[in-house]
Amino acid sequence: MNLHLSSAPHAHSRESTTVLMLNVIIALIPCVAAGVWYFGYSALITVAVSTASAVLAEFIWQKCARQKVRIGDLSAVVTGIIMGLNLPPQAPWWMAMVGSAFAIIIVKCMFGGIGDNFMNPALLARGVLLASWPVRMTAWQAVTGWNSAVDAVAGATPLVNPSVYTRLDLFLGNVPGTIGEVCKVAILVGFAYLLITKTISWRIPVAMVATTFVFSWIFGKDPVTSILSGGLLFGAVYMATDYVTCPMTARGQIVFAVGAGLLVAVIRNFGNYPEGVTYAILLMNIATPLIDRFVKQPVYGHEKGVRKQNA
Amino acid sequence: MPNKKKSLGAIVKNGLLTENPTFRLVLGTCPTLAVTTSAMNGLGMGAAATFVLVFSNLVISLLRNFIPDTVRIPSFIVVISTFVTIVEMIMKAYLPALNEARGMFIPLIVVNCIILARAEAFASKNGPIASIADGLGMGIGFTCALVLIGCIRELIGNGTIFGAQVMTAGYESMLLIIMPAGGFLVFGTVLGIFNAITAHTVKKKEGSAA
Amino acid sequence: MPDKKTFRGGVHPLHRSHEGKAPTRDKPVREYAADTVTILMGMHLGAPSTPCVKKGDLVKMGQVIGEPVGFLGLPVHASVSGEVVDVGPVQTVGAVPGMAVTIKNDFADEWVDTLEPLGNVEKCDKDKIVPAIKNAGICGMGGASFPTHVKFAVKEGQYCDTIILNGAECETHLTADHRLMLEHSVRIVDGLRAAMRALDVKKGVIAIEDNKPDAIEAMRKAAEGRLGVEVQPLRTKYPQGGEKQLIHAVTGRQVPTKKLPLDVHVIVLNVGTAAAIADAVIDGKPLISRITTVTGHVKQPSNLRIRIGTMIADVVGECGGYSLEPGKICVGGAMTGLPCPSDLIPLTKANNGVVVYSEAEAAATEETPCIRCGRCVEVCPIGLNPYKLKYLCDADDLKGAEENNVMDCVVCGSCSYICPARRFLTPSFKNTKDKITLEAKKRKGQ
Repeated sequence: MNLHLSSAPHAHSRESTTVLMLNVIIALIPCVAAGVWYFGYSALITVAVSTASAVLAEFIWQKCARQKVRIGDLSAVVTGIIMGLNLPPQAPWWMAMVGSAFAIIIVKCMFGGIGDNFMNPALLARGVLLASWPVRMTAWQAVTGWNSAVDAVAGATPLVNPSVYTRLDLFLGNVPGTIGEVCKVAILVGFAYLLITKTISWRIPVAMVATTFVFSWIFGKDPVTSILSGGLLFGAVYMATDYVTCPMTARGQIVFAVGAGLLVAVIRNFGNYPEGVTYAILLMNIATPLIDRFVKQPVYGHEKGVRKQNA
Repeated sequence: MPNKKKSLGAIVKNGLLTENPTFRLVLGTCPTLAVTTSAMNGLGMGAAATFVLVFSNLVISLLRNFIPDTVRIPSFIVVISTFVTIVEMIMKAYLPALNEARGMFIPLIVVNCIILARAEAFASKNGPIASIADGLGMGIGFTCALVLIGCIRELIGNGTIFGAQVMTAGYESMLLIIMPAGGFLVFGTVLGIFNAITAHTVKKKEGSAA
Repeated sequence: MPDKKTFRGGVHPLHRSHEGKAPTRDKPVREYAADTVTILMGMHLGAPSTPCVKKGDLVKMGQVIGEPVGFLGLPVHASVSGEVVDVGPVQTVGAVPGMAVTIKNDFADEWVDTLEPLGNVEKCDKDKIVPAIKNAGICGMGGASFPTHVKFAVKEGQYCDTIILNGAECETHLTADHRLMLEHSVRIVDGLRAAMRALDVKKGVIAIEDNKPDAIEAMRKAAEGRLGVEVQPLRTKYPQGGEKQLIHAVTGRQVPTKKLPLDVHVIVLNVGTAAAIADAVIDGKPLISRITTVTGHVKQPSNLRIRIGTMIADVVGECGGYSLEPGKICVGGAMTGLPCPSDLIPLTKANNGVVVYSEAEAAATEETPCIRCGRCVEVCPIGLNPYKLKYLCDADDLKGAEENNVMDCVVCGSCSYICPARRFLTPSFKNTKDKITLEAKKRKGQ
């Protein structure tokens, strides 16, 4: 009889890193589908290219650095899809590749691989693309529908000129924008899936959107239009909730989300950019270690008043 | 510690590779980040710094037995700034165009840590010939690093190297790389690659020794 | 009665398979006496007892075969009648062998004639209760095996206002306490009343997880008309039966760090311990048998009343043998059970279950990088930061780990259970705790 002597616990939850990543991928499918529905198959090609290059980049890096190849944990796939959904529909294929390669190699692998990146890889890559090719990243294509020729018909982003679009258009996604962010219905479906599978908690998305709502209102904007336009919902559901770059404790997550929501409202209303979700989340990503350091959960037996309460 | 037993060639090589000021000592990063937006800028800055480095090393080495220890740093700075002023004047006189474009970085050489570091660590303890060799090695090492980073940034950020078009016409340059953030990115990446290679060779040497 | 109470954090291990309890939950307890028993001298926390019989001696059931040593010492009794065939060290769950007395059972089941029953728990002399508990060799039967009479040693200035009986049985697979509560509910309440009378405690709470509604019902019936005894249902969640969590859930009090339950005026006893107290007080019988769940990959998973000192191989045999090649055998449930190096290990007073795992279930998992998902922080019932502690423990930073409250870790296993990256969190905390304790001892010794 050959008995194992590994220590307790002897049971394990079925969730693994791969399962969690798979859940996120499933939750992203509605957004991809909506993007393809509105912008044609070129959107699908963009997402496919960015996903493939993300996985390839991670594979090549880990081979070159003689690390264990971990593309099986699907985290590179998630980064790749989110990267693709962050691009404008008519983005050239090479931009998708550069974005994904940057996200995986510079932001993720160079800082130690999965779990050690200090910012959301896809989001920082989006920031890099935005700084490198500002014209291409902000030339919005009007909604053309499935199978249309890829002619960049310029349309104003709703954040510049909100009166052009109705709230229903904004909600359904009948507006120019990046592939993933336009259709709010798809994002909410994905959010619901993530909540049901307990992949993420409600705290960050809800607190972030609510904060932006309140502050847009205070700053004199229409709050409903504010939260429905731009990448706020997409960012709040898929990017601010990235495990690695958000705080660990429930309280810390609320602080993080409120900070991000406030920054979105401030950048949109007082900054030079019409859109602030990318920078808001990136800034809070950097603040995450600080939040984790100062916002702790109470420890049993150490809480203030434990002695008094027991006396 | 560098000493007289070391051959001059070894001292030059030391500056070029083993103790490359940019990639191994990580000194003088401020000019490295600021002027490497193109290869030409890197070369110009490197040449000016090398000139100052060689001559300040020489003078400080000659004066090393006369400078009291307590005031050595101010003395070094005076020597260094003299040569920087000479460079600045020469540029103004003979290279007005270049001076117009990069002149603002020249005075900064005074506070470039590489020069002060070599004065303190090498020239004040070694003879004049060795000090010239050290200044030359360090200066060329610094120049090579600047040109390398400059080339990479110019190529990606502008599609050219030394002003000559390298990329094909359809190439859309990546603006970020010639922005300050790009400087950090390229510097960090090259530094990492340099370290990885060094670590690899060191391991190999240790492996063969054992 | 207030609703189901609970604590912060926690997990639901093996939730989809009813915590692994289904195979034995409805199996009545079966008596089992093995041919030979090997009774360890060190079953309780504290110094092992000294054997006072020798090879060839004839002993009767309940006869003292080990004399107590020191403050935490307990006597050890023969669990069968018969001939002592060996006195010497045997293999145990721990790393070092333990002194044991092996007795060949003559199946006469003849009790020793020196039993001193006190009779009715409500009427007996209450000053004799604690000595009776000590003489019966009773220690915590939930797993920690802390000598029970020491728990009752109330120091000057301390007092106890609540005794909690732990019937949570939050561990996976185990149904021993569940069956005990169904089949011996009156005994449990008797034991609780004896304990309450011994210390003049006005309130006794029997806390049971709500996945055992039949046990809650049975205990309520048994508690009817008994002075100060109530039944408290608890939410089903692991580690509901952890002492600190149980006290918080039931009383709302928190045991301050490095203090004992008595500092918040509470004593927690396992239901099995309460039943043993009743046996000791009413009949004067020492603790020589207990209910143990034998489950997992055995042919007939069962709840057995075994004699203390029965070998694991014997109880598995009684349950029809292994149903496949075992990969791991543990005493205790899946969350805190101890792995056994072989099946020739005697069971002790604290072993509430034997679980046999298959080779596939036992196969080692690979540790992957932390993805900072925060699940460990969410489930930690103490409120620690396991992800951070793990880095400190891996770096052997004892001081840093202590500053981050590693000593408050109850080693419940929740963080390791939930971790999607399969990081070995709990084992490394246990290791670090042991190291810190050892360091402290060394420092004291100098």
